[in-house]
Amino acid sequence: MTRFSKYRLRRHLGMFLTYLGIAAALIFFLFPFVWILTTSLKGNEDYFTFPPVWIPTEPSLVHYYRLFTHGNGWLYFKNSLAISTLSMLAALAFSVPTAYSIARFRFGGTLFSNFLLLLRTMPAIALVIPIYVLYSKLGITNNYFGLILLYTVFYIPFAVWLMIGFIRDVPKEIEEAALIDGCSRLQALLRVVLPIIVPGLAVVALFAFITTWNEFLFAVILTGAETKTMMVLVTSYTTGSPTDTFFGEASASVVLGIIPAFLVAFALQRYLVKGLALGAVKG
Amino acid sequence: MFKNKLSSRREAYFFASPALFLIVAFVIFPLGYSFYLTFQNYDLAIGPPAEYVGVDNYREMLLDDVRFWRAWLNTFIIIFPAITVQLLLGLGIALLLNRPIRGRAFLTSLLIIPSMVSPVSAAMVWRMLYGVKYGGINNFFRQVGLLDVYFDWFATPARAIFSIIAVEVWHNTSFMMIVLLAGLQSIPQELYEAGEVDGASTWQKFWYITLPLLKFTMIVALLIRMIDLTKIFGLIFLLTFGGPGGSTQTVAFTTYLSGFQDFRISYASTLSYVIVVGVFILTLIFQKVSRFREGEEA
Repeated sequence: MTRFSKYRLRRHLGMFLTYLGIAAALIFFLFPFVWILTTSLKGNEDYFTFPPVWIPTEPSLVHYYRLFTHGNGWLYFKNSLAISTLSMLAALAFSVPTAYSIARFRFGGTLFSNFLLLLRTMPAIALVIPIYVLYSKLGITNNYFGLILLYTVFYIPFAVWLMIGFIRDVPKEIEEAALIDGCSRLQALLRVVLPIIVPGLAVVALFAFITTWNEFLFAVILTGAETKTMMVLVTSYTTGSPTDTFFGEASASVVLGIIPAFLVAFALQRYLVKGLALGAVKG
Repeated sequence: MFKNKLSSRREAYFFASPALFLIVAFVIFPLGYSFYLTFQNYDLAIGPPAEYVGVDNYREMLLDDVRFWRAWLNTFIIIFPAITVQLLLGLGIALLLNRPIRGRAFLTSLLIIPSMVSPVSAAMVWRMLYGVKYGGINNFFRQVGLLDVYFDWFATPARAIFSIIAVEVWHNTSFMMIVLLAGLQSIPQELYEAGEVDGASTWQKFWYITLPLLKFTMIVALLIRMIDLTKIFGLIFLLTFGGPGGSTQTVAFTTYLSGFQDFRISYASTLSYVIVVGVFILTLIFQKVSRFREGEEA
Protein backbone atom coordinates (compact mmCIF):
# COMPACT_ATOMS: atom_id res chain seq x y z
CA MET A 1 0.00 0.00 0.00
CA THR A 2 1.37 3.40 -0.91
CA ARG A 3 1.61 6.18 1.63
CA PHE A 4 -0.95 8.17 -0.26
CA SER A 5 -3.68 5.54 -0.12
CA LYS A 6 -2.91 4.92 3.53
CA TYR A 7 -3.56 8.57 4.18
CA ARG A 8 -6.81 8.43 2.23
CA LEU A 9 -7.94 5.35 4.13
CA ARG A 10 -7.30 7.06 7.44
CA ARG A 11 -9.21 10.11 6.36
CA HIS A 12 -12.17 8.03 5.19
CA LEU A 13 -12.15 6.07 8.41
CA GLY A 14 -12.06 9.35 10.35
CA MET A 15 -15.09 10.72 8.53
CA PHE A 16 -16.90 7.41 8.94
CA LEU A 17 -16.34 7.51 12.70
CA THR A 18 -17.44 11.16 12.79
CA TYR A 19 -20.76 10.34 11.13
CA LEU A 20 -21.13 7.29 13.37
CA GLY A 21 -20.70 9.46 16.46
CA ILE A 22 -23.23 11.99 15.22
CA ALA A 23 -25.66 9.19 14.43
CA ALA A 24 -25.30 7.87 17.99
CA ALA A 25 -25.98 11.36 19.35
CA LEU A 26 -29.04 11.71 17.12
CA ILE A 27 -30.43 8.42 18.40
CA PHE A 28 -29.85 9.38 22.04
CA PHE A 29 -31.40 12.84 21.70
CA LEU A 30 -34.26 12.03 19.36
CA PHE A 31 -35.36 8.50 20.28
CA PRO A 32 -37.45 9.70 23.26
CA PHE A 33 -39.40 11.98 20.89
CA VAL A 34 -40.01 9.17 18.42
CA TRP A 35 -41.14 6.93 21.26
CA ILE A 36 -43.57 9.47 22.70
CA LEU A 37 -45.02 10.11 19.24
CA THR A 38 -45.58 6.42 18.46
CA THR A 39 -46.96 5.91 21.97
CA SER A 40 -49.53 8.62 21.39
CA LEU A 41 -50.62 6.91 18.15
CA LYS A 42 -51.02 3.42 19.62
CA GLY A 43 -54.34 1.86 20.54
CA ASN A 44 -55.02 1.06 24.18
CA GLU A 45 -54.44 -2.65 23.54
CA ASP A 46 -50.84 -1.98 22.46
CA TYR A 47 -49.57 -0.70 25.79
CA PHE A 48 -49.61 -3.86 27.87
CA THR A 49 -48.54 -6.58 25.44
CA PHE A 50 -45.27 -8.44 25.39
CA PRO A 51 -43.23 -8.37 23.23
CA PRO A 52 -43.84 -4.61 23.21
CA VAL A 53 -45.30 -2.81 20.21
CA TRP A 54 -42.74 -0.23 19.01
CA ILE A 55 -44.50 0.95 15.89
CA PRO A 56 -48.30 0.81 16.00
CA THR A 57 -49.76 -1.33 13.22
CA GLU A 58 -52.85 0.82 12.98
CA PRO A 59 -51.91 4.34 14.11
CA SER A 60 -54.90 6.29 15.36
CA LEU A 61 -55.60 9.76 16.64
CA VAL A 62 -58.08 8.47 19.20
CA HIS A 63 -56.11 9.81 22.19
CA TYR A 64 -55.88 13.28 20.69
CA TYR A 65 -59.59 13.14 19.98
CA ARG A 66 -60.33 12.09 23.57
CA LEU A 67 -58.01 14.79 24.91
CA PHE A 68 -59.97 17.42 23.01
CA THR A 69 -63.47 16.08 23.58
CA HIS A 70 -63.48 14.40 27.00
CA GLY A 71 -60.72 16.30 28.72
CA ASN A 72 -59.97 20.01 28.78
CA GLY A 73 -57.19 19.59 26.20
CA TRP A 74 -58.58 22.05 23.69
CA LEU A 75 -59.26 24.69 26.35
CA TYR A 76 -55.77 24.45 27.82
CA PHE A 77 -54.18 24.44 24.39
CA LYS A 78 -56.05 27.64 23.58
CA ASN A 79 -55.05 29.11 26.97
CA SER A 80 -51.39 28.42 26.31
CA LEU A 81 -51.65 29.87 22.83
CA ALA A 82 -53.42 33.03 24.02
CA ILE A 83 -51.24 33.59 27.09
CA SER A 84 -48.00 33.03 25.16
CA THR A 85 -49.04 35.24 22.23
CA LEU A 86 -50.22 38.13 24.40
CA SER A 87 -47.17 37.98 26.72
CA MET A 88 -44.96 37.91 23.65
CA LEU A 89 -46.58 41.03 22.18
CA ALA A 90 -46.55 42.86 25.51
CA ALA A 91 -42.91 41.96 26.16
CA LEU A 92 -41.97 43.37 22.74
CA ALA A 93 -43.95 46.57 23.31
CA PHE A 94 -42.26 47.24 26.64
CA SER A 95 -38.76 46.12 25.66
CA VAL A 96 -38.27 48.03 22.40
CA PRO A 97 -38.33 51.53 23.96
CA THR A 98 -36.19 50.40 26.90
CA ALA A 99 -33.60 48.82 24.63
CA TYR A 100 -33.68 51.96 22.49
CA SER A 101 -33.06 54.10 25.54
CA ILE A 102 -30.05 52.00 26.50
CA ALA A 103 -28.64 51.69 22.99
CA ARG A 104 -28.99 55.38 22.08
CA PHE A 105 -28.78 57.27 25.39
CA ARG A 106 -26.73 54.73 27.39
CA PHE A 107 -29.57 54.78 29.89
CA GLY A 108 -28.47 53.56 33.32
CA GLY A 109 -24.95 52.66 32.25
CA THR A 110 -23.24 49.42 33.26
CA LEU A 111 -25.07 49.29 36.58
CA PHE A 112 -28.41 49.00 34.83
CA SER A 113 -27.27 46.22 32.50
CA ASN A 114 -25.88 44.31 35.49
CA PHE A 115 -29.23 44.80 37.16
CA LEU A 116 -31.01 43.39 34.10
CA LEU A 117 -28.79 40.31 34.15
CA LEU A 118 -29.59 39.73 37.81
CA LEU A 119 -33.29 40.00 37.01
CA ARG A 120 -32.81 37.54 34.18
CA THR A 121 -31.38 34.87 36.51
CA MET A 122 -33.84 35.59 39.35
CA PRO A 123 -35.21 32.28 40.68
CA ALA A 124 -38.90 31.99 39.84
CA ILE A 125 -39.57 30.23 43.15
CA ALA A 126 -38.51 33.37 45.05
CA LEU A 127 -40.93 35.51 43.08
CA VAL A 128 -43.89 33.17 43.01
CA ILE A 129 -44.32 33.17 46.81
CA PRO A 130 -44.96 36.91 47.28
CA ILE A 131 -46.82 37.09 43.95
CA TYR A 132 -49.14 34.31 45.09
CA VAL A 133 -49.89 36.15 48.35
CA LEU A 134 -50.41 39.49 46.57
CA TYR A 135 -52.53 37.98 43.80
CA SER A 136 -54.69 36.17 46.38
CA LYS A 137 -55.27 39.45 48.20
CA LEU A 138 -56.22 41.13 44.93
CA GLY A 139 -58.31 38.13 43.90
CA ILE A 140 -56.50 37.65 40.58
CA THR A 141 -55.27 34.10 40.89
CA ASN A 142 -56.99 32.00 38.24
CA ASN A 143 -56.87 35.02 35.95
CA TYR A 144 -55.30 35.30 32.48
CA PHE A 145 -54.35 38.90 32.94
CA GLY A 146 -52.29 38.37 36.10
CA LEU A 147 -50.33 35.56 34.48
CA ILE A 148 -49.74 37.48 31.24
CA LEU A 149 -48.43 40.52 33.13
CA LEU A 150 -46.07 38.35 35.12
CA TYR A 151 -44.70 36.59 32.03
CA THR A 152 -44.28 39.94 30.30
CA VAL A 153 -42.22 41.34 33.16
CA PHE A 154 -40.23 38.15 33.58
CA TYR A 155 -39.26 38.25 29.93
CA ILE A 156 -38.39 41.97 29.65
CA PRO A 157 -34.75 41.76 30.89
CA PHE A 158 -33.85 39.11 28.34
CA ALA A 159 -35.74 40.79 25.50
CA VAL A 160 -34.06 44.13 26.23
CA TRP A 161 -30.65 42.52 26.38
CA LEU A 162 -31.14 40.77 23.05
CA MET A 163 -32.67 43.83 21.39
CA ILE A 164 -29.93 46.32 22.36
CA GLY A 165 -27.63 44.54 19.90
CA PHE A 166 -30.14 44.74 17.06
CA ILE A 167 -30.75 48.47 17.66
CA ARG A 168 -27.02 49.25 17.86
CA ASP A 169 -26.64 47.73 14.40
CA VAL A 170 -28.92 50.43 12.94
CA PRO A 171 -26.74 53.32 11.73
CA LYS A 172 -27.35 56.46 13.79
CA GLU A 173 -27.18 58.65 10.67
CA ILE A 174 -30.49 57.34 9.33
CA GLU A 175 -32.22 58.42 12.52
CA GLU A 176 -30.48 61.77 12.62
CA ALA A 177 -31.69 62.47 9.10
CA ALA A 178 -35.23 61.76 10.25
CA LEU A 179 -34.79 64.06 13.26
CA ILE A 180 -33.57 66.88 11.04
CA ASP A 181 -36.63 66.40 8.85
CA GLY A 182 -38.73 67.19 11.91
CA CYS A 183 -39.53 63.75 13.35
CA SER A 184 -39.70 63.43 17.12
CA ARG A 185 -37.58 60.75 18.77
CA LEU A 186 -40.66 58.56 19.18
CA GLN A 187 -41.53 58.93 15.51
CA ALA A 188 -37.93 58.17 14.58
CA LEU A 189 -38.09 55.00 16.64
CA LEU A 190 -41.45 53.88 15.27
CA ARG A 191 -41.01 54.82 11.61
CA VAL A 192 -37.28 54.49 11.03
CA VAL A 193 -35.69 52.11 13.52
CA LEU A 194 -38.54 49.66 14.01
CA PRO A 195 -38.94 48.65 10.34
CA ILE A 196 -35.20 47.98 10.12
CA ILE A 197 -35.08 45.71 13.17
CA VAL A 198 -38.10 43.57 12.22
CA PRO A 199 -35.97 40.39 11.82
CA GLY A 200 -34.51 40.99 15.28
CA LEU A 201 -37.99 41.52 16.68
CA ALA A 202 -39.06 38.19 15.22
CA VAL A 203 -36.20 36.43 17.00
CA VAL A 204 -37.06 38.04 20.34
CA ALA A 205 -40.74 37.27 19.80
CA LEU A 206 -40.15 33.58 19.11
CA PHE A 207 -37.95 33.22 22.18
CA ALA A 208 -40.55 35.01 24.29
CA PHE A 209 -43.26 32.74 22.94
CA ILE A 210 -41.44 29.48 23.64
CA THR A 211 -40.29 30.64 27.09
CA THR A 212 -43.84 31.49 28.12
CA TRP A 213 -45.23 28.34 26.53
CA ASN A 214 -42.73 26.21 28.49
CA GLU A 215 -43.15 27.93 31.86
CA PHE A 216 -44.53 25.71 34.59
CA LEU A 217 -44.03 27.03 38.15
CA PHE A 218 -46.05 30.27 37.83
CA ALA A 219 -48.63 28.43 35.77
CA VAL A 220 -49.23 25.62 38.26
CA ILE A 221 -49.52 27.97 41.24
CA LEU A 222 -51.41 30.90 39.73
CA THR A 223 -53.99 29.12 37.55
CA GLY A 224 -57.30 27.46 38.34
CA ALA A 225 -59.54 24.99 36.53
CA GLU A 226 -60.31 27.28 33.56
CA THR A 227 -56.98 29.04 33.16
CA LYS A 228 -54.54 26.11 33.17
CA THR A 229 -51.90 25.90 30.46
CA MET A 230 -50.60 22.94 28.45
CA MET A 231 -47.62 22.47 30.79
CA VAL A 232 -49.97 22.08 33.74
CA LEU A 233 -52.08 19.62 31.74
CA VAL A 234 -48.98 17.57 30.86
CA THR A 235 -48.20 17.09 34.55
CA SER A 236 -51.75 16.14 35.47
CA TYR A 237 -51.51 12.52 34.25
CA THR A 238 -49.20 11.33 36.97
CA THR A 239 -51.64 10.29 39.66
CA GLY A 240 -52.71 6.70 40.06
CA SER A 241 -51.37 3.57 38.47
CA PRO A 242 -50.37 3.49 34.82
CA THR A 243 -53.78 2.88 33.30
CA ASP A 244 -54.63 3.18 29.63
CA THR A 245 -55.64 6.82 30.05
CA PHE A 246 -52.23 7.49 31.51
CA PHE A 247 -50.34 6.34 28.45
CA GLY A 248 -52.62 7.51 25.68
CA GLU A 249 -53.70 10.95 26.76
CA ALA A 250 -50.49 11.71 28.62
CA SER A 251 -48.38 11.05 25.54
CA ALA A 252 -50.79 12.98 23.32
CA SER A 253 -50.61 16.00 25.65
CA VAL A 254 -46.81 15.85 25.70
CA VAL A 255 -46.67 15.77 21.90
CA LEU A 256 -48.94 18.82 21.65
CA GLY A 257 -46.84 20.55 24.30
CA ILE A 258 -43.54 20.10 22.45
CA ILE A 259 -44.63 21.01 18.91
CA PRO A 260 -43.70 24.71 19.37
CA ALA A 261 -40.22 23.69 20.55
CA PHE A 262 -39.63 21.83 17.28
CA LEU A 263 -40.81 24.76 15.20
CA VAL A 264 -38.71 27.26 17.13
CA ALA A 265 -35.57 25.09 16.99
CA PHE A 266 -35.64 25.24 13.21
CA ALA A 267 -36.86 28.81 12.85
CA LEU A 268 -34.20 30.22 15.16
CA GLN A 269 -31.25 28.10 14.04
CA ARG A 270 -28.87 31.03 13.61
CA TYR A 271 -29.76 32.75 16.86
CA LEU A 272 -29.83 29.72 19.15
CA VAL A 273 -26.44 30.33 20.73
CA LYS A 274 -27.22 33.87 21.73
CA GLY A 275 -30.72 32.97 22.84
CA LEU A 276 -29.94 29.82 24.72
CA ALA A 277 -27.17 31.50 26.62
CA LEU A 278 -28.73 32.77 29.82
CA GLY A 279 -31.31 30.03 29.67
CA ALA A 280 -33.73 31.68 27.33
CA VAL A 281 -36.06 28.72 27.20
CA LYS A 282 -36.02 27.84 30.87
CA GLY A 283 -38.11 29.37 33.59
CA MET B 1 -25.72 67.46 18.05
CA PHE B 2 -28.82 69.59 17.88
CA LYS B 3 -30.44 68.53 21.12
CA ASN B 4 -29.12 69.55 24.50
CA LYS B 5 -28.09 67.03 27.17
CA LEU B 6 -31.01 67.66 29.49
CA SER B 7 -33.72 66.87 26.98
CA SER B 8 -31.96 63.69 25.85
CA ARG B 9 -31.81 62.51 29.46
CA ARG B 10 -35.51 63.20 29.77
CA GLU B 11 -36.09 61.23 26.58
CA ALA B 12 -34.03 58.34 27.94
CA TYR B 13 -36.29 58.12 30.98
CA PHE B 14 -39.38 58.54 28.83
CA PHE B 15 -38.46 55.49 26.73
CA ALA B 16 -37.30 53.33 29.63
CA SER B 17 -40.01 54.16 32.15
CA PRO B 18 -42.85 51.80 31.11
CA ALA B 19 -40.66 48.71 31.50
CA LEU B 20 -39.08 50.11 34.66
CA PHE B 21 -42.50 50.64 36.17
CA LEU B 22 -43.48 47.02 35.48
CA ILE B 23 -40.19 45.70 36.87
CA VAL B 24 -40.60 47.69 40.06
CA ALA B 25 -44.24 46.65 40.46
CA PHE B 26 -43.86 42.96 39.66
CA VAL B 27 -40.32 42.10 40.75
CA ILE B 28 -38.81 44.65 43.13
CA PHE B 29 -41.92 45.27 45.20
CA PRO B 30 -42.85 41.56 45.59
CA LEU B 31 -39.27 40.69 46.52
CA GLY B 32 -39.25 43.47 49.13
CA TYR B 33 -42.58 42.24 50.43
CA SER B 34 -41.28 38.68 50.69
CA PHE B 35 -38.19 39.96 52.54
CA TYR B 36 -40.56 41.66 54.99
CA LEU B 37 -42.46 38.36 55.33
CA THR B 38 -39.28 36.54 56.40
CA PHE B 39 -39.55 38.42 59.71
CA GLN B 40 -43.20 37.41 60.19
CA ASN B 41 -44.93 34.12 60.91
CA TYR B 42 -47.34 34.29 57.97
CA ASP B 43 -48.86 30.83 57.70
CA LEU B 44 -51.84 30.10 55.45
CA ALA B 45 -52.64 26.82 57.23
CA ILE B 46 -53.09 28.61 60.55
CA GLY B 47 -54.37 31.86 59.09
CA PRO B 48 -53.91 35.49 60.01
CA PRO B 49 -52.94 37.57 61.82
CA ALA B 50 -49.23 37.24 61.20
CA GLU B 51 -46.89 38.79 63.71
CA TYR B 52 -43.35 40.05 63.81
CA VAL B 53 -41.10 37.21 64.99
CA GLY B 54 -37.65 38.72 64.47
CA VAL B 55 -35.10 36.31 63.06
CA ASP B 56 -36.94 33.15 64.17
CA ASN B 57 -37.33 31.90 60.59
CA TYR B 58 -33.62 32.32 59.93
CA ARG B 59 -32.75 30.62 63.22
CA GLU B 60 -35.03 27.67 62.42
CA MET B 61 -33.60 27.34 58.93
CA LEU B 62 -29.94 27.41 59.97
CA LEU B 63 -30.09 25.58 63.28
CA ASP B 64 -33.14 23.30 63.43
CA ASP B 65 -34.04 22.39 59.86
CA VAL B 66 -32.13 19.33 58.69
CA ARG B 67 -34.19 19.39 55.49
CA PHE B 68 -32.67 22.74 54.49
CA TRP B 69 -29.07 21.51 54.65
CA ARG B 70 -30.01 18.20 53.04
CA ALA B 71 -31.66 20.10 50.20
CA TRP B 72 -28.48 22.02 49.41
CA LEU B 73 -26.45 18.83 49.58
CA ASN B 74 -28.95 17.05 47.29
CA THR B 75 -28.78 19.94 44.82
CA PHE B 76 -24.97 19.77 44.69
CA ILE B 77 -25.11 15.99 44.29
CA ILE B 78 -27.23 16.53 41.18
CA ILE B 79 -25.38 19.57 39.81
CA PHE B 80 -21.79 18.37 39.73
CA PRO B 81 -22.12 15.00 37.99
CA ALA B 82 -24.68 16.51 35.61
CA ILE B 83 -22.52 19.43 34.46
CA THR B 84 -19.42 17.21 34.19
CA VAL B 85 -21.15 14.76 31.87
CA GLN B 86 -22.78 17.60 29.94
CA LEU B 87 -19.42 19.28 29.41
CA LEU B 88 -17.64 16.13 28.22
CA LEU B 89 -20.49 14.88 26.04
CA GLY B 90 -21.26 18.37 24.71
CA LEU B 91 -17.61 18.96 23.84
CA GLY B 92 -17.38 15.57 22.13
CA ILE B 93 -20.39 16.21 19.91
CA ALA B 94 -19.30 19.80 19.22
CA LEU B 95 -15.90 18.51 18.02
CA LEU B 96 -17.66 16.06 15.68
CA LEU B 97 -19.94 18.77 14.31
CA ASN B 98 -16.95 21.05 13.81
CA ARG B 99 -15.38 18.61 11.33
CA PRO B 100 -16.02 19.12 7.59
CA ILE B 101 -19.40 17.36 7.52
CA ARG B 102 -22.41 17.75 5.30
CA GLY B 103 -25.66 19.24 6.63
CA ARG B 104 -24.15 20.71 9.78
CA ALA B 105 -26.87 23.34 10.28
CA PHE B 106 -29.67 20.80 9.91
CA LEU B 107 -28.00 18.26 12.23
CA THR B 108 -27.36 20.95 14.84
CA SER B 109 -31.02 21.96 14.75
CA LEU B 110 -32.10 18.36 15.27
CA LEU B 111 -29.68 17.87 18.15
CA ILE B 112 -30.75 21.09 19.87
CA ILE B 113 -34.43 20.15 20.17
CA PRO B 114 -34.19 18.57 23.67
CA SER B 115 -33.01 21.94 25.04
CA MET B 116 -36.02 23.68 23.57
CA VAL B 117 -38.69 21.61 25.31
CA SER B 118 -39.75 22.49 28.83
CA PRO B 119 -38.37 20.61 31.84
CA VAL B 120 -41.83 19.20 32.59
CA SER B 121 -42.26 17.89 29.04
CA ALA B 122 -38.81 16.28 29.19
CA ALA B 123 -39.61 14.83 32.59
CA MET B 124 -42.97 13.46 31.40
CA VAL B 125 -41.43 11.72 28.38
CA TRP B 126 -38.82 10.10 30.61
CA ARG B 127 -41.29 9.27 33.36
CA MET B 128 -43.08 7.16 30.81
CA LEU B 129 -39.84 5.70 29.42
CA TYR B 130 -38.76 4.75 32.96
CA GLY B 131 -42.13 3.08 33.68
CA VAL B 132 -41.65 -0.10 35.70
CA LYS B 133 -44.03 -2.44 33.91
CA TYR B 134 -44.74 -0.89 30.54
CA GLY B 135 -42.05 1.77 30.16
CA GLY B 136 -39.98 1.90 26.99
CA ILE B 137 -36.64 1.24 28.67
CA ASN B 138 -37.71 -1.84 30.63
CA ASN B 139 -39.64 -3.12 27.60
CA PHE B 140 -36.51 -2.87 25.50
CA PHE B 141 -34.22 -4.55 28.03
CA ARG B 142 -36.73 -7.35 28.61
CA GLN B 143 -37.09 -7.88 24.87
CA VAL B 144 -33.36 -8.19 24.27
CA GLY B 145 -33.10 -10.44 27.33
CA LEU B 146 -30.95 -8.25 29.56
CA LEU B 147 -33.64 -7.97 32.18
CA ASP B 148 -35.99 -10.65 33.43
CA VAL B 149 -37.56 -8.82 36.37
CA TYR B 150 -39.13 -5.41 36.43
CA PHE B 151 -36.54 -2.81 37.29
CA ASP B 152 -37.59 0.23 39.33
CA TRP B 153 -35.43 3.18 38.25
CA PHE B 154 -36.39 5.21 41.32
CA ALA B 155 -36.37 2.56 44.06
CA THR B 156 -33.28 3.72 45.94
CA PRO B 157 -31.82 7.22 46.47
CA ALA B 158 -28.78 6.39 44.34
CA ARG B 159 -30.93 5.12 41.46
CA ALA B 160 -33.31 8.08 41.69
CA ILE B 161 -30.41 10.56 41.59
CA PHE B 162 -28.85 8.68 38.67
CA SER B 163 -32.16 8.67 36.77
CA ILE B 164 -32.66 12.41 37.30
CA ILE B 165 -29.12 13.20 36.19
CA ALA B 166 -29.65 11.06 33.07
CA VAL B 167 -32.73 13.11 32.13
CA GLU B 168 -30.92 16.37 32.85
CA VAL B 169 -28.03 15.23 30.64
CA TRP B 170 -30.45 14.37 27.85
CA HIS B 171 -32.28 17.66 28.30
CA ASN B 172 -29.42 20.16 28.38
CA THR B 173 -26.29 18.61 26.87
CA SER B 174 -27.22 20.18 23.55
CA PHE B 175 -27.05 23.61 25.16
CA MET B 176 -23.44 22.91 26.09
CA MET B 177 -22.88 21.49 22.61
CA ILE B 178 -24.13 24.54 20.74
CA VAL B 179 -22.23 27.04 22.90
CA LEU B 180 -18.99 25.05 22.55
CA LEU B 181 -19.55 24.63 18.80
CA ALA B 182 -19.79 28.41 18.48
CA GLY B 183 -16.59 28.67 20.51
CA LEU B 184 -14.81 26.16 18.28
CA GLN B 185 -15.86 27.98 15.13
CA SER B 186 -14.44 31.25 16.44
CA ILE B 187 -10.93 29.78 16.74
CA PRO B 188 -8.85 31.12 13.80
CA GLN B 189 -8.01 28.36 11.32
CA GLU B 190 -4.49 29.79 10.85
CA LEU B 191 -3.50 28.57 14.31
CA TYR B 192 -4.12 24.96 13.26
CA GLU B 193 -2.28 25.48 9.99
CA ALA B 194 0.68 26.91 11.89
CA GLY B 195 0.53 23.90 14.22
CA GLU B 196 0.59 21.53 11.25
CA VAL B 197 3.63 23.28 9.81
CA ASP B 198 5.36 22.72 13.16
CA GLY B 199 4.41 19.03 12.97
CA ALA B 200 1.80 18.94 15.74
CA SER B 201 -0.31 15.79 16.02
CA THR B 202 -4.12 15.93 16.21
CA TRP B 203 -3.93 15.39 19.94
CA GLN B 204 -1.33 18.14 20.40
CA LYS B 205 -3.44 20.56 18.36
CA PHE B 206 -6.41 19.82 20.60
CA TRP B 207 -4.43 20.12 23.81
CA TYR B 208 -2.35 23.21 22.98
CA ILE B 209 -4.68 25.18 20.66
CA THR B 210 -8.32 24.14 21.10
CA LEU B 211 -8.54 23.67 24.85
CA PRO B 212 -6.78 26.90 25.93
CA LEU B 213 -8.86 28.96 23.50
CA LEU B 214 -12.08 27.24 24.55
CA LYS B 215 -11.44 27.61 28.28
CA PHE B 216 -13.53 30.72 28.86
CA THR B 217 -16.40 29.48 26.72
CA MET B 218 -16.46 26.31 28.82
CA ILE B 219 -16.44 28.25 32.09
CA VAL B 220 -19.26 30.53 30.92
CA ALA B 221 -21.37 27.58 29.73
CA LEU B 222 -20.75 25.70 33.00
CA LEU B 223 -21.78 28.75 35.04
CA ILE B 224 -25.01 29.11 33.06
CA ARG B 225 -25.82 25.45 33.70
CA MET B 226 -25.01 25.88 37.41
CA ILE B 227 -27.31 28.89 37.67
CA ASP B 228 -30.12 26.95 36.00
CA LEU B 229 -29.55 23.76 37.97
CA THR B 230 -29.56 25.61 41.31
CA LYS B 231 -33.19 26.32 40.43
CA ILE B 232 -33.99 22.75 39.29
CA PHE B 233 -37.67 22.10 39.92
CA GLY B 234 -39.66 20.67 37.00
CA LEU B 235 -37.71 17.41 36.70
CA ILE B 236 -37.98 16.75 40.44
CA PHE B 237 -41.67 17.64 40.53
CA LEU B 238 -42.51 15.02 37.91
CA LEU B 239 -39.89 12.29 38.27
CA THR B 240 -39.57 11.77 42.04
CA PHE B 241 -41.51 14.50 43.87
CA GLY B 242 -38.48 14.64 46.17
CA GLY B 243 -38.39 10.93 47.00
CA PRO B 244 -37.37 8.35 47.91
CA GLY B 245 -36.99 9.47 51.51
CA GLY B 246 -36.32 13.10 50.57
CA SER B 247 -33.12 12.14 48.75
CA THR B 248 -33.97 14.23 45.68
CA GLN B 249 -35.49 17.23 47.45
CA THR B 250 -33.58 20.11 45.92
CA VAL B 251 -33.55 23.66 47.29
CA ALA B 252 -36.23 24.98 44.92
CA PHE B 253 -38.39 21.92 45.53
CA THR B 254 -38.09 22.13 49.34
CA THR B 255 -39.07 25.79 49.13
CA TYR B 256 -42.07 24.85 47.01
CA LEU B 257 -43.11 22.20 49.54
CA SER B 258 -42.96 24.53 52.53
CA GLY B 259 -44.78 27.27 50.67
CA PHE B 260 -47.46 25.40 48.78
CA GLN B 261 -47.86 22.13 50.67
CA ASP B 262 -47.22 23.22 54.28
CA PHE B 263 -48.43 26.76 53.43
CA ARG B 264 -45.73 28.27 55.64
CA ILE B 265 -45.35 31.35 53.46
CA SER B 266 -42.92 33.21 55.71
CA TYR B 267 -40.65 30.23 56.12
CA ALA B 268 -40.72 29.48 52.39
CA SER B 269 -39.75 33.11 51.72
CA THR B 270 -36.79 32.68 54.03
CA LEU B 271 -35.71 29.52 52.21
CA SER B 272 -36.16 31.23 48.84
CA TYR B 273 -33.89 34.10 49.84
CA VAL B 274 -30.99 31.68 50.24
CA ILE B 275 -31.55 30.53 46.64
CA VAL B 276 -31.65 34.18 45.53
CA VAL B 277 -28.31 34.80 47.26
CA GLY B 278 -26.78 31.64 45.76
CA VAL B 279 -27.88 32.52 42.24
CA PHE B 280 -26.82 36.15 42.82
CA ILE B 281 -23.27 35.04 43.63
CA LEU B 282 -23.10 32.74 40.60
CA THR B 283 -24.42 35.53 38.39
CA LEU B 284 -21.76 37.94 39.65
CA ILE B 285 -19.05 35.37 38.89
CA PHE B 286 -20.60 34.85 35.46
CA GLN B 287 -20.50 38.58 34.86
CA LYS B 288 -16.85 38.90 35.91
CA VAL B 289 -15.84 35.99 33.69
CA SER B 290 -17.72 37.20 30.61
CA ARG B 291 -16.35 40.71 31.01
CA PHE B 292 -12.84 39.34 31.40
CA ARG B 293 -13.32 37.23 28.29
CA GLU B 294 -14.49 40.24 26.27
CA GLY B 295 -11.37 42.08 27.43
CA GLU B 296 -9.17 39.17 26.33
CA GLU B 297 -10.74 38.97 22.90
CA ALA B 298 -10.58 42.71 22.26
